[in-house]
Formats: sequence, structure tokens, C-alpha cells
Amino acid sequence: MNKIGSLIEQLHDAEVSLAADYRKVGERHAVEHDLWYGCHTVAQQCEGRAEQLRAVADRYGDKVAAPHDSEMLRSLMTHVRHAGSDLIGRSSSAGLLMLRDLRHLYTATEEVSFYWVLLGQVAQAKRDRRLIETVDILHRQVLDQIKWLKTRAKEASPQILVGR
Amino acid sequence: MTDGEILNADRIADPWGPRAPFGQGADWQPRVDQVLTVDEHVVDRWVSSACVMCSYGCGLEIAVAGDRIVGVRGRAEDRVNHGRLGPKGLYAWQANSSSDRLTAPLIRRDGELVPTDWETAMDAVVSRSKQLLDEIGPSAISFYTSGQLFLEEYYVLAMLARGGIGTQHLDGNTRLCTATAEWALIESFGADGDPGSYTDIDHCDALLLVGHNVAETQTVMWARMLDRRHGPDRPHLVVIDPRRTPAAVEADVHLAIKPGTNVMVLNALLHEMIANDWVDHPWVDAHTVGFEELARVVSGYPPERAAEVCGVEADDIRAAARILGTSSALVSTVLQGVYQSHQATAAAIQVNNINLLRAMIGRPGATVFQMNGQPTAQNTREAGADGSLPVQMNWQNDDHDEALARHWKIDTLDLPHWGPPTHVMQIMRYIETGSINFLWVSGTNPAVSLPELARIRSLLAKDDLFLVVSDAFMTETAAMADVVLPAALWGEKTGTFTNADRTVHLSEQAVAPPGQARSDFHIFTDYAHRMGLENREGRPLIEFASPEAAFDDFARLSAGRPSDYSAFTYDKLRQRNGMQWPCNEDHPDGQERLYGDGVFWTHADRCQSFGHDLTTGAANESDEYRAHDPNGRAVLKAAQYSESYEPPTDDYPFRLTTGRTVYHFHTRTKTGRAPELAAAAPDMWVELCPQDAEAHGIAEGDLVKVSSPRGAIHAPARLTGSRPGVVFAPFHYGYWDQSDDPDRHDRAANELTLTAWDPVSKQPTLKSAAVAVSKAADGAGPAVAPQTAASATVTEGGR
Repeated sequence: MNKIGSLIEQLHDAEVSLAADYRKVGERHAVEHDLWYGCHTVAQQCEGRAEQLRAVADRYGDKVAAPHDSEMLRSLMTHVRHAGSDLIGRSSSAGLLMLRDLRHLYTATEEVSFYWVLLGQVAQAKRDRRLIETVDILHRQVLDQIKWLKTRAKEASPQILVGR
Repeated sequence: MTDGEILNADRIADPWGPRAPFGQGADWQPRVDQVLTVDEHVVDRWVSSACVMCSYGCGLEIAVAGDRIVGVRGRAEDRVNHGRLGPKGLYAWQANSSSDRLTAPLIRRDGELVPTDWETAMDAVVSRSKQLLDEIGPSAISFYTSGQLFLEEYYVLAMLARGGIGTQHLDGNTRLCTATAEWALIESFGADGDPGSYTDIDHCDALLLVGHNVAETQTVMWARMLDRRHGPDRPHLVVIDPRRTPAAVEADVHLAIKPGTNVMVLNALLHEMIANDWVDHPWVDAHTVGFEELARVVSGYPPERAAEVCGVEADDIRAAARILGTSSALVSTVLQGVYQSHQATAAAIQVNNINLLRAMIGRPGATVFQMNGQPTAQNTREAGADGSLPVQMNWQNDDHDEALARHWKIDTLDLPHWGPPTHVMQIMRYIETGSINFLWVSGTNPAVSLPELARIRSLLAKDDLFLVVSDAFMTETAAMADVVLPAALWGEKTGTFTNADRTVHLSEQAVAPPGQARSDFHIFTDYAHRMGLENREGRPLIEFASPEAAFDDFARLSAGRPSDYSAFTYDKLRQRNGMQWPCNEDHPDGQERLYGDGVFWTHADRCQSFGHDLTTGAANESDEYRAHDPNGRAVLKAAQYSESYEPPTDDYPFRLTTGRTVYHFHTRTKTGRAPELAAAAPDMWVELCPQDAEAHGIAEGDLVKVSSPRGAIHAPARLTGSRPGVVFAPFHYGYWDQSDDPDRHDRAANELTLTAWDPVSKQPTLKSAAVAVSKAADGAGPAVAPQTAASATVTEGGR
């Protein structure tokens, strides 16, 4: 695989793993209802980007494999985390745990964003107009995700850290 | 009184009254609707006011005989209604003299609420507040208010909560009804405030109603539309609604979409408008930003795609788009079918976009109405008693924060502005984690109106929560309180309120409140004094001797902001009741339409918010907004469609939608106590279409069980013209009048609904639960649901 192909593959895999991270956090904090839905919405965006990256890889003559996950295992893990969320959801430490998870998502999404910066430069250097447009739209989506995490953390932190 | 035939109206059998057809731009003839329970010569005086039963905001006069309200009549000269009143306006006032009004404060002793005096009750409220402030701080204290108090009351509440106690946690039940209206206006136009005038209905040649069952929610507004439809040069009518509402029956094109698919159908309409080039390019180029991105996004939504997802005909989408695209004066209206549904803000904004693409804003007959539900919701918003600071101040703008702090004579640091005001669903979550321990509910009933009621009841009952309720009646929420404060109702106090076309009415006190009941204004200012809330000069923070003094202070604060009240006075409103804001030096009699010059409130220094990503709700920061400052242009924001949070499954195959009937308001605290209204819709029902009913062996009137993953209700079935796969449940019916067993919780629609909210407006998505339906027992005849409107029985062949 050439250098560009390997960049696309790394970004693709980072997106796939980011999607899984968002789902995990959403499930762990299922009683924070906006996080549950928000994380799943964002996870779908990550998966959508991964899908588009596979198409980009095809155009560059490389094959990036789609993730294969066991639907049954995923559903079981969802159930376990959701039940855990119900158990800890009423305790005050749930807030601190949430801030920790938001921080983790923040750094993981920043990493993905960095890859998109690189891919954007590749698109420019290759004079690939289609790729420039794709990167432009999808990188903005990543930046919105980072902004969302920041918004959520800013809203939540005073109550968690200063309140009871 | 001016001209206009007086009609002793029966708005139960005929909620909209006789037709008075008129043509485009002609005058809407007055007709005075009146109800009097005594002979007219017995009436001592008529007191000027307006109706508090919906956001249309009809001007009326209250008849007083002795010390009692004995009737009402519409004001023929009022710009809003030309004398007309709807069923709720004509009859609901009777609740004021209901025998079960709260007339003394109550306090919980040994588990029971017992009567007490104001001193004892307020002492309990104040000592708990002070204790929590000492031990934890302002973050432990929260307030949840209404869309039915007066501007002055919201303003003192905002002042005492935000400026005095210093808590973020103040919201209104407007969160359930018009938060999305507010945010759709902010995101597109830079600030809250509907741009149009109700007279635009008189001038339009096309009407687009999206999720707006206007015939039941704003009956007089529908009468106005119907009178145009019955006149010469009648306007075209496009209705988007899963139910067969009166407007849908009347429509030229009815798109009966699946609930939760608003963005899909609206994107398809935008797709057609752009594909056919029904776009005013010079205006769009000069007065908007974002066209290219909008065009890119909606290019993925051809009518065929939307037809499949929404369950409607592609040709009907094209026909609707042609009406919107070729009209010369388009009025679009939006309500709960959008606001309480999936992707609420994103969808509401696409309606703004339809009007913006065609420059249909700011001139007679051309506007978009992001409607309100409640009569005074506009004031909850503009006084800062919901998720906003007062007068459309932007909490992310330091200059705005400082201006507000200066006006209140407090330190800017004492004004919480590190994040948006906390929305009610988040307040509930903080109660759940134990980090909020005090909640004061005024004039609303969350124990019936919030989603997933089993959860809400468990939160309101928590031992570590001190619950204060001020209300006129023993609501389901008041019954759970630690302290209950008896509140005066409309007609028993003086104040102002503002409808959805920015018309401000002064509502004068007609009679004294019963027993020891006090106005919310009195209760809040008394609390502020007892709490010893002071400004920076060591003076009492709130020193208003009367609602009028609070109004004048608010008017001064509002100068130069969108809702500019600076040239309003009580005296001016006494001269001419019903004038629109902005009312200032330039527009001493108010301004009928906003944005006629194509200049919006989007400049970075002036805007109410720096805006959000519609998918996640991520908030833009100041520098980011300033880098692309729209600088007075409207913002065209695009949104991709996404599937509902809870799509139907094999176990829960139906989509639930909840809503109103024409005869009731909210949880019926008033309308359930007006004999005519109570009799017109006495008890719960659920609606199904005949095909779905037959498939489940259900006949009209059979008792059915509707269940969701969160709970179940039982009610008689009414077979109506809703689209297949949809179950409708009115949200009015709770438990206060369930005499056999008030603790049996299988009646309220919100037992079924989902805890979820829109990422931008934070409005709960009450219309998106998946439910199952089964027959529970044979019925003894048809359901007792109204036959006048959307709940009418369908007969063979449609209707």
C-alpha cells in the first residue's frame, strides 16, 4: 500500500474506533439522555465518514476493509453498560465520570481531526477537486463534534465541580 | 365598543363561528363574540384585557358584576381578533370562581398538606433557600415557571433568580411549547421575535401550515384564514400534518407525512424550489448567507426519496412546492408538529429557508410565523425567564452581560453567564443526581406535562428535594409539594403580555383574588425581600412598588434591543390596547413588520446567539462567529435528515403523537373547570385510523391499551382520519379529576413519551415515541371525543 493509501487506512480505522468510543460513552451515560442520543448521532457520522473513506481508498487503488462487528456482542455490551448507567446514574460520582469520558472523546476526536488536516493537504497536492470538497465537508463535521464536546463539558462542569 | 354585530356565541358546536368572507387586502369585518351569565344591565363595568387561552392573543373585555367576573366579550377594535373569541376564551374564565380554588397557603406536616398562613409558608421557603445557599450555593436552587404569567412577573423572577440568587437554573414551560420557535428565529434571523403581522393573512395568496393544527390551537386565527378561503381570490393552502385536521381537510395539498420526517419533506420542497429556480437570487445574494451549502444539502432530497421516507406521493410534494414557489405573497406557519417532533429546530429553520429563498418576509402577506403555544410565552422569553437572558441579550457577549448587570446594579461576576440557562430537562436530571435540592414551580404542572411521567413523579417525590408550588389549583404537581402558595389568576391582577405577532396587551385587574391568594408578582417580590437580595449599592435588588414600575424598568432595559418596549407605558396601552413591539422613538405606535429592509439582527455585536450546529447542538464561540459575521444578513442553515430517536419496532409498531383538542388547554387546570369545555371533551381517548383498528380487532369506543417501553395507558378508541401507523393521544388528561383512584397512573399521554430533547432548542421530543396498541375491553358505544375537529370520526369514503 502506498503512503496515501496507508494514511487513508489509518484515518479510516481511527474513525471506526472513534465511532465505537462514542457509542460506549453514550451507553455508559445513558441516563444523560442527550449524551445517549448525541453520542449515537455522532457515532453514525463517524461511520458515515469511514464509509466515504473506503470509497476514497478505492479511487486511489487501495482496498480498506469495512469493520466487522458482531451485532449480538454489541447488543449484549450495550445492555450491560446501559444497566450500569442506571445503577450509577443517581450518584454524584457519575458527573466526574462523565467529564473524564468527554475528555477522552475530545482527544480522540482531535486525533481524527489531525488526520483530516493531512488528507486535506494530500487532496490539494494531488489537485483532486473531488477529494478537496469531500475533506472540506467531512472535516467540518469533525470540528463540530469537537465543538459539541466542548459545549457539553462547559455546560456540565460548573454543576459537577462546584455544586453538590 | 365600536362597530360589529354582537353575537351571544356558541363556540362549542361551532368553534370558529359564522364565516365573514373577505378578499386579498380587504378589511376583516368585526364581530363581537360574547358570553354573559347575567343580564347585560346588571354588569357594573367592562375591564380591558386580552385572552390568556392561546398565543393568538385576542383582545377582550371582562364583565364584572358585584365582585365577580360574569362574562367576556371580544374587543371589536382590537387589531388581533376584531371582536372574535374562541371556545376557550369565551368559557375558561369561569375557572376563576371555581369552588376548589386555593385560598390559603399550605405546608406539609407529617406527610400531609395542611393550611397555614403566609408568614409560616414563606418562612419555610426562605429558610430552606438560605440554608442551601449557605451549605452548597446557588447551584442547588432552581425555578420552573410558566407561559401564562405576565411580563412583569417573569421579569422579577428572572431578576431575583439570575441577578439575586445567581442561579443558572431558571426555565419556563415554554420549553415544551415554543423553545423551538425562539431558537429557529434566533438561528435564522439573529434574534427572537416573529417578523410578521396577523394582517399578513389578509394579504397573502398562499398559506403553508407545517405541524400546525391551527383550527384547534388558535381558533380565531383559523377563522381569519377560513374567511380568506371563502372570499374572492382565495389563498392556496398547503398543510403538512400526519392527522386529518380541519386545515388538512380544507387544504389544496395535504402532505400526511409519517411523524418524525419533517426535515425530509421540507428538504424535498427546498429541492424543488431550487431545481425549478423559484429563488429570488438578487435578494438572496444581498440579504442572506449560506445559499450554496443549503443548495448542496437539499440536492440530495429529490421528491421520490422524500415520498418513500415520509409515506406521501412525490407528485403531491411537487404540487406543494409549485404553490410555494409561484405564490406572490406566502405566509408560512409552524407549531408543535415541528417543535415537539424529531429534529425540531432543524425542521423549523427549513420553513424559514422556504420564505427566505423567495424573499417572503417583511412585507404585507409575506412572512413566516414560528407560532407560540401559550398566551404569554413570548414574555417568558423576552423577560429572560426561560433559556435566555432578558431582552434577547447574548450571554456569550460580554458587553451584553455587562449592560444587564449595570441595569440591575449588580456585579457582572454575580450574573451567571458561563453557560446557557439550564433547561428544564437538565434541571430534572440535576434533581436526579441530587445536585439540585430546591425547585419552585409557578403556574405549570410538570407532573402531567413532562415526558416519561413515572420518572418525573419519582424525581418530584425525592426526599432531598424541597418543592414549592405556586398555583391557583391543587394540581398533580402541587399535591407533591412541601409548600403550596395560592396564586391569583388573570383578571385578579394587572400586567401585560405579548402574543405571537408581538402585540402587547395590558390586562387590568377586574376583581380581587379569592381568600388569601396573591399575584405571582406579589409572591416573587415578597420572596426577594425576605431573602434580603441586594444590589451593589446595598439597596434591595427589587424595589418595584407595582407591576407598572417593573414594566417601566423592563422597558428601559429593552431600549435598542429587538423587543424594544421603550416607548410603551401603561397609559399608552390604556389609550389603545394591543400595540406591537418594537415601540420606540422611531416607531411610537409600534412597528407592524420586522426586516422590511432586509437587515436582520445577525451582526455579531447585536445578535442574541452565535448559533449552533443543528445536528449536535454544538455552540459557536464568539471569535468563530465574528470570523464569518453575517453582519445583518439572514442565515440559511441546512440540515441533513436523520431517523427518529425511537423508530417503530416489531414490539412497538406504531408512532405516537400527542396534542390538543380545541376545547382544552394544557392539563385542564382551567378548562376542566369550565362546564361547557369540560362537557365538550370530558375524558381521555386515543385515535387510530380504521385500517389499523380493524387489523387489531378494535372498534370505535373499545377500551384500548397503548403501551411504550416506559408505561401504558387505557382509553377508548376513536377511529379518525390519521395516516396509518399513527396513534394520537391528547395530552390534557391527568389525575386530579380521576375520582375513583388518583394514584392509578394509566391516563396521561406522557406516561408513554420519551425522555429526549432537541439538541438546539432543548425542547422535549414529545411526538416521537414508538407504541403498541391492543384491545383491552369492549366499548359501550362511541368514544366521548369531540366530533368538531381532528378527532372527528371518519365515515366510509373518508369523512
